[in-house]
Amino acid sequence: MKILVPIKRVPDTDQRVRVADDMLHVETADMPFVVNPFDAIALEEAIRIREARSGDAEVVVIGVGGEEYEQELRTGLAMGADRACVVRCDTELDPWNVACILQQMVGRESPALVLMGKQAVDDDLGQTGPFLASLLQWPQATFASRIELQGEMLTVGRETDRGIETLTLPLPAVVTVDLRLNEPRYASLPSILKARQKQIEHVDVRELGVEIQPRLQVLKMESVFSQRRCQRVSNVDELLERLKAETKIL
Amino acid sequence: MPHQFNVTIDVIPMAHTTILTSSSTIAAAIPQWTREIFGNIPESGQIVFYVAAVVALGVFAWGMRKHWESWTIGSGSHTGRGAKSSSAPWPVMGQRLIREVLLQRRVLGRGVASIAHLLLFSGFVVLLIGTTLIAIEHVLAWLVGRPPTMPVFHYGWYFLIYEFMLDTFGVAFLIGVFLFFHRRWVRSTSLGHTAGDWLVLVAFLTIALTGFAVEGLRILHSNTPLPGVSFAGWLTARTMQQVGVTQENAGTFHLTLWWVHAICALAIIAAFPYTRLMHALAGMVNIALQPRQLGALQPLSIEDVEQTGRVGVSQLVDLQFYQLVALDACVECGRCTDACPAHEAGKPLNPKTVVQDIKRYRDDIMPQYKKNLSTSQSLAEFWDKSRPLCGDLAGTNLIDDATLWSCTTCGACVDVCPLRVNPLEYITDMRRHLVANGALRGSASQALQRSGRSGNPWGLPTAERFAWAEGLDVPTVDTHPDFEILYWVGCAAAYDRRIQKVARSVVRLLRAANVSFAVLGPAEKCTGETARRMGDEFLFQELAASNMATLAQHRVRRIVTHCPHCLNSLRQDYSQFGGNYDVVHHTQFLQELLAGGRLKLTAGASHTIAYHDPCYLARAQDETEAPRALLSGNGTNGVAAGTFIELARSRRQTACCGGGGGRMWFDDAVDQRAGRSRAREVVDSGAETLAVACPFCLIMMTDGLKAQDSAVEVRDIAELLCERLEGA
Repeated sequence: MKILVPIKRVPDTDQRVRVADDMLHVETADMPFVVNPFDAIALEEAIRIREARSGDAEVVVIGVGGEEYEQELRTGLAMGADRACVVRCDTELDPWNVACILQQMVGRESPALVLMGKQAVDDDLGQTGPFLASLLQWPQATFASRIELQGEMLTVGRETDRGIETLTLPLPAVVTVDLRLNEPRYASLPSILKARQKQIEHVDVRELGVEIQPRLQVLKMESVFSQRRCQRVSNVDELLERLKAETKIL
Repeated sequence: MPHQFNVTIDVIPMAHTTILTSSSTIAAAIPQWTREIFGNIPESGQIVFYVAAVVALGVFAWGMRKHWESWTIGSGSHTGRGAKSSSAPWPVMGQRLIREVLLQRRVLGRGVASIAHLLLFSGFVVLLIGTTLIAIEHVLAWLVGRPPTMPVFHYGWYFLIYEFMLDTFGVAFLIGVFLFFHRRWVRSTSLGHTAGDWLVLVAFLTIALTGFAVEGLRILHSNTPLPGVSFAGWLTARTMQQVGVTQENAGTFHLTLWWVHAICALAIIAAFPYTRLMHALAGMVNIALQPRQLGALQPLSIEDVEQTGRVGVSQLVDLQFYQLVALDACVECGRCTDACPAHEAGKPLNPKTVVQDIKRYRDDIMPQYKKNLSTSQSLAEFWDKSRPLCGDLAGTNLIDDATLWSCTTCGACVDVCPLRVNPLEYITDMRRHLVANGALRGSASQALQRSGRSGNPWGLPTAERFAWAEGLDVPTVDTHPDFEILYWVGCAAAYDRRIQKVARSVVRLLRAANVSFAVLGPAEKCTGETARRMGDEFLFQELAASNMATLAQHRVRRIVTHCPHCLNSLRQDYSQFGGNYDVVHHTQFLQELLAGGRLKLTAGASHTIAYHDPCYLARAQDETEAPRALLSGNGTNGVAAGTFIELARSRRQTACCGGGGGRMWFDDAVDQRAGRSRAREVVDSGAETLAVACPFCLIMMTDGLKAQDSAVEVRDIAELLCERLEGA
């Protein structure tokens, strides 16, 4: 069984993000990057599936972008991925483009399962997974907080606003994962060193025959300043009173 | 009725001998002060005894050989795996053996248990030496062909002192045995116990009682001169006389009891390696060999890791020689268990159990190990197939991850162990394995990731590292390159809003005392202390290398820090990698300033202050007095204008706040943290203010006290001093 885990590199979530001077991008100078936390959860789940099958699974991490992806893919290998592959592409991509590229990679790798984050924490678009599923004509489950694999069937608990919805779907399938699925493991330096010995495959996006035609255009990016003010109330009754009177929430 | 009993010790004072001017008279008199060795024991009996002694020594040697085999499985002695062994330097070893073995310094401090051990130990040692001297005398006499009545050296004043000493320590031994019976009869839950322990004590009791009985009977039977010097034997003799023992029938009783005495003594020698008594030998070796100071860890090298593919300890074979010896040193006395803050808080950790589990596992696996030596399977393969100590995915591991993560690395277990067993090192070694194998999850692993990425466990931007100093115009190494003292701020004071106040107070105090100082500002990174104690050795080394380069660049020699963890790391961790600095804690430095009259304080409002000793200051760095000197002054040369309260657990016996060893970064609910009993202790002490000297303690104790709805204020000593600054 092969599991494909596409990962995206995103600015370190601990850092203060600033808009670049062109008002179209995030300032990336001196910005540390990390594996998108939701993708790390997806990778952790893939490794756990392999561990539960006593190693009878291959976990492949894929990045789409420039040479700098190497670092995040190394982290993926250090966490326990078997192989890593970067699809080299220097143009800007929107979720549709990425889904098209991943469709071709699925064609090459023919995995039984694509596991990925429900969204990337940089733009929070959350479209790549569903696009990919529809391009592949595969069943999909999004926002997974529980995944069970029995034979060729997946049982997925997905987090919705109204509670946990449980789906069963046959493989192959695309599953996007949510925060509460697991806690990703820590890749320490010795495992990163070990991962250094592994090769990272390079695929040129032109080899895949995908036409990069963005459907999404960023017009302007700006920082949002919170106008939030705090007020101290003396007791719960007063709080309820004011919520009723001033906010009309209740 | 033998009249010799009227001859008592006061009949032979020095005056008496000096009156006898003829030297030949003295020479004639002195040999009478002796006793016949093996007196009343027929020659055939003597031969049987020597044969039995050889058998006992053989059984002893056989047992020791088995221990030696188990001690040498690790340290890379067979497999090339594991880190290189190191040990304490020779003078340190000698000093430890005298202080800690002979003088029993680490045994003291536990009331009756300590006294019991002191008595039994000293009795045992003196009796053992005494018996050995007798054996030497007997063999020497045989070699030079002396008759039994003409000893080589066992006569005269030597004999009198010998008899007196052996009786004195015999009594000590007997009292010790009784106290140990009591200790095992009403034993505390933390004391380990087996039926074998009763057997040993019964044998000891028999040896002691028959020893005095045999001595008494010998005095009666062979009219030993000056019997009063062997006061206990003499009392026994007199008592026996009362119940009808005579010189004539004493011989039979003597022979019988002598055999009981001899068999028990030989049995103890034979049983030594197979019972808890083994702690005496293994403990001695362990005390001599334990290579590190409290608070220091064994460095790993990345080359070794690349070569062996192994990090930390996951198998017995990864343990070092002294760590395997220490398994036999542990007597399960439970001091570590009683001192462990994680255990007290109900965490799954019990330091004694960690050591004992490894020991039992070793005992179980040794036969298989030895069988394997004669097969074709390589040892590496053997260990890979055997049950791992920790971190097994299939869950067959001996020690749970949760147990290992519970440790706050406070060092209390190591500090209280009379035999220097180091449960903490097994734990940190196994943590290294867990971390390297990706077994660390959640908030704690995030703290490590953030330390690596951003240089601080909070993960906050480097650019904001100097924000704490806003408005204070704090000199940096760039603006004041000719500074004398570097103030090491640490991550907590850089990023935590509460601890920022501590750093601001320290700066004000240094200014007031006209100290030429500077800070690194944004160039400072986490020391890596937490990462190292959590088991991420190489993240620590990366951070340390970066910091050492920064310190070298600015030619830093003397460092002041308010964080005991940074202090310990800069002192003990960095020196392992060539970073040698003169590092002092801010309490030590401020006390210097105050004593030198450079810091002027005014009297202030009176309040009641208790002081909480930080583990890494009081225990790892042995500094308990500077903070007290600062706190217990009369208001002008110190802080406590009111009352200074000493908490029940103070100085080296302090109780951990629960924040060390990376525990700060585990998301424990407040009511599950180690250290909540400490908060109760503070509340019960009646203090209005709790003075601390560590950022972790400040955070943890503040939380802990809040959880108890306590109004006790937690303040760093620097903050309290700052309030008393003249003109403040």
